[in-house]
Amino acid sequence: MRTSEIEKRPVVTMAGEDVAQIKDVVYSSGGGAVGGFTLAGRGLFAGPLKQGLAWASVYALGADAVMISDPDVLEPTQSVLDASASAGGSGGNVLGARVLTDEGTDLGSVVDVILEVAEGRGEQCDVVGYEVEASESLGTHGTKVLLPLPDTLAVSGEHLIVPASAKDFVGHDLAGFGAAVVAFRAQLEGTGR
Amino acid sequence: MRFSEALGHKVVSLASAETVGILAELVVDPQSRRVVALGINKSPSGTALRWDDIESFGPDAVTVSDADKIAGPDRDVDRLSGKDHHFLGKRVLLTVGDELGEVEDVEFNADTGGLVAIMLKSGDVEAHRLVGVGSYAVVVD
Repeated sequence: MRTSEIEKRPVVTMAGEDVAQIKDVVYSSGGGAVGGFTLAGRGLFAGPLKQGLAWASVYALGADAVMISDPDVLEPTQSVLDASASAGGSGGNVLGARVLTDEGTDLGSVVDVILEVAEGRGEQCDVVGYEVEASESLGTHGTKVLLPLPDTLAVSGEHLIVPASAKDFVGHDLAGFGAAVVAFRAQLEGTGR
Repeated sequence: MRFSEALGHKVVSLASAETVGILAELVVDPQSRRVVALGINKSPSGTALRWDDIESFGPDAVTVSDADKIAGPDRDVDRLSGKDHHFLGKRVLLTVGDELGEVEDVEFNADTGGLVAIMLKSGDVEAHRLVGVGSYAVVVD
């Protein structure tokens, strides 16, 4: 799913109360996984909350709500940010960053982040790709394409470095994208990177 | 019986044969998945009638031995009462975070008060799947 679809999604307890909504995604593990979320209050005039939600406390990330067991699992936003930062996360925003291959080709700029949650509770929420507004080198200048990511990658606010072969696995819709990610990662492992 | 049929039932005292109140709310404990009390309008003695104090929940009326069975509400019932705990019209969320639809009605057993099913346009959800009811949603497994 796209990160932009998660923002504003309600955070709902098992008792059916909407205690917050998602404000931003906090990344950990070098930008390769979701560490947690910053939260905003519910309602028209509600601002950001002092409390955040660590990924480990999420019961389920569904199409319509982020489920938690009860409001006690929320923790200070700063501790969610700190935990993700100490796990190698930028904590920051990758939107707008340029995607550069390890061979120095600019593939475009990031407009959205694609997440995938593995089946089963307690699994991490992987960043599996970026939606990229393509540059000329992808041959589809100006259109948005989905670019699969390796398990780990180097990221700064300025650039994301991806293996050059990533551009052979670009997708155009989310339906077949999961398979492209698997194929791309298998190919990386096969080359003994 | 369905919630929509039960609401508006008159409550009749067997001692005086008079109508002593009107059923305005079914108070559900999501943990036991039972109707634990009834919210009553137009009764001078109180606004709550505990399920265990009912003589019969019939197709046309609820009977009580005496009008003074309607009292309170006490804290346990009050905690589960009110709009936040109602089912009808509320969205239904699965524990995985996907929405199923809206509650159209709830089927319950008029002898025991036990919930049977939560009814949606897309089909019934068996009551044993109920996890919680809050201001935002009915949560089912």
